[in-house]
Amino acid sequence: MNQQPHSQHVPFAAHLIERRDLSEDTALFRIAPDEGALAQLFSFVPGQFVQLSVPGAGEIPISPADLPTPEGTLELCVRRVGHVTELLHELQPGATLGLRGPFGSGFPLKEMAGRPVLLLAGGLGIAPLRSLLMHLLRQRDSYGDITLMYGAKQPRLMLFREELAALAAAGGLRLYLTVDFAPETLDGGYSCAVGLLPDLLKGFRFDAATTYAAVCGPPPLYRCLVADLERAGVHAERILLSLERRMRCGIGRCCHCALGQKLCCLDGPVFRASDLKGIPEAL
Amino acid sequence: MEKNFLKMTRLVQFLETLRLFGELHAPTISESGVYRFSPLDDPAELRLDYHRTQIPPKKYLLPFREEILHNATGSYREGHSGAKDLVLFGVHSCDLEGIAYLDRVFLADAADPGYSARRSRLTLVGVSCEPDDFCFCPEERESTACDLFLGASGEGFHLACHSARGRAVVSAADHLLEQGPPLPPPRFSGPCFPPQDPELRFSDHPLWQKFASTCVSCGACSVCCPTCYCFDVREYPTLSGGAARIREWDNCLFVTHGEVAGANFRPDRLDRLRFRFLHKYCGFTPLQGISSCVGCGRCKEVCPVDIDLRELTVTPKRVQP
Repeated sequence: MNQQPHSQHVPFAAHLIERRDLSEDTALFRIAPDEGALAQLFSFVPGQFVQLSVPGAGEIPISPADLPTPEGTLELCVRRVGHVTELLHELQPGATLGLRGPFGSGFPLKEMAGRPVLLLAGGLGIAPLRSLLMHLLRQRDSYGDITLMYGAKQPRLMLFREELAALAAAGGLRLYLTVDFAPETLDGGYSCAVGLLPDLLKGFRFDAATTYAAVCGPPPLYRCLVADLERAGVHAERILLSLERRMRCGIGRCCHCALGQKLCCLDGPVFRASDLKGIPEAL
Repeated sequence: MEKNFLKMTRLVQFLETLRLFGELHAPTISESGVYRFSPLDDPAELRLDYHRTQIPPKKYLLPFREEILHNATGSYREGHSGAKDLVLFGVHSCDLEGIAYLDRVFLADAADPGYSARRSRLTLVGVSCEPDDFCFCPEERESTACDLFLGASGEGFHLACHSARGRAVVSAADHLLEQGPPLPPPRFSGPCFPPQDPELRFSDHPLWQKFASTCVSCGACSVCCPTCYCFDVREYPTLSGGAARIREWDNCLFVTHGEVAGANFRPDRLDRLRFRFLHKYCGFTPLQGISSCVGCGRCKEVCPVDIDLRELTVTPKRVQP
C-alpha cells in the first residue's frame, strides 16, 4: 500500500468512454480514469479490484476485465443486478464516474510462471478471470498450457463468446464452453457442451501436479470445484479462488467482507483454497 | 514535590480550566434517566457516580452517521469532518481502552480522514470508577490511554499526565493543585479480556445453540460496544443535483451484514454470533490475535435475553445424561 492516503478514501474522476452489451443484463464499460488514478492503476495485478463510484448511487467493488491499456483506459464488466449497477447501465458515454484502487491481492503471477494454468469460470466469474487470461496470453511464452473452462446458464448469457472463440482459434488457448441447458429454439447454433462445469472437468486430462487452477463463479460452484480439483490431484495451495463479498471500504475497516479472521479486501479477493480450510463461511 | 492533587472542592474550578482546551463534555443523566456523555453547560449536571453511559464515547470519533464525501461538481471531495476542540471529562478506563483500540483501526495505514481530524482535537480526561455487577474488569484499572487521569483518593484526585496536552492542562490548573498524599501503586492498564482461540466458535458448547435460539438480533450489544465499528456506506443524490456519501454504524447481528448480490454468508443467528465472537475476541486482519473487549459491561447490561458471549470461553460443566 504505497498509495497516497488521500486517494484511498476519495475517488478519482473517471469518464465513461463506451459501453458494449455482452448479454441482456451485462455490459462491458470502457472508462478513462484521470491521471492520478491511472498512476495507481498501472500497478494492477489481475484479480485485484477497484471501487467504482456512480455519483448519486454509490460505490461497488469490481474486478477489472483486463489490465489498463497503454492509452489509459480500463474495462469493467458489470451485470445490472442492484441499485448502483442499475444506474450505471443507464449512463451515456461522457458521464463522470469515480474510481479508487486497485485494492487487495491478485493472482500470484510470479509463482505461476512456467506452469500450466486452468481457468474455471462460472457465469459472471469470467470477468475477473478475463484479466488473468489476457495477461497470460500476452505473456504466452512464460506459462505452460492455458485452458479456459467457462460455464453459463444459457448460450445467450455466455459473455465474450466471439472473442474467446477467436483467441482459441489463434492458438495458445484451449477453450471448453458449457451451458446448463440449451433451449430447443437455439438460433445461430454454437458449439458447446450442455452440462455443468464440474462435468466438464471430469473428462479433462491434465498435469495436476504442476497446474494452477483459477476459479471464479457463484458461491456453490467453489464448493464442488475445489473438491473435484483436489480429487484430481491439484494441491489446495495451487487452487486460487477469486471471492465476492460486499466490500464497502476496500481498505479493511467496514468489516463486511470478513471470512473467518481474514478480510476479503486486504487478504483477498484471490485466496488459495489451502488458506480457506477451517473457514466454512468462506465458500 | 510536584503538585498533583486536586481537592474535590476545587473540581468545579478545574472544569472551568478544562474549557480552555475545548468544548467540555462529561457524563450526565438525561430526563429519561439514561447516562450519556453530553455538553456540560452547568457543572452541577456532572454525574461522576455513573457506572457506564448507554452509548460509549466512540460517538465523538465515529458519529452514528456522517457525510464522508460529497460530489457537487462531478468529482468527489472529502466531507466536513465536524472536528472541533473537545474535552471529554470523566471517561472510565474501559472506555479509554476502547478509544485506544479504535485508534489502532482508524489511525493505521491510510488513516481515516474524519476520525483522525476529530481524534487530534480531542482531549481525554479519565477518572477512576467503582465497578458494578456488569463490569468485566479483572482488577482495578487505571488506563494510560488518555491525556490526563484522575484517580480518586481520599478527599480528591491524584492527577497522572500521559501526554503533552495532559501536562498543559495540569500547568494551566497549577493554582488549583497541591501536594497530595503519596501516590498509590500503579494499577493495571490495557484491554481486559484475553484473546481467544478462533476455533472456539465451532465448539460444541451447549450455549452456542442456546444463544442462537434466544438472540433477537436487536444489535444492542454492538451499538453499545465501545470497540464495535463496523460501518455501512450509502450514497444519496442531493436536491442540488450532486451526491452525498454517508457512512453510518452497521451491526453484525443484522441479517443484511453478510449479504452479497444473490447470497448471504451469515444468514442464521448462529453464524452472526460466531462472527461477533470472532471479531470481538480474536480480531480480524490486521488486528488478529487482539481481543477488543475492554470490560465495560454494556453488552451484558443491555442484552434483552441475557447473552454474554464470554461464557462460551468457559468449559461447560458436564451435564449428567
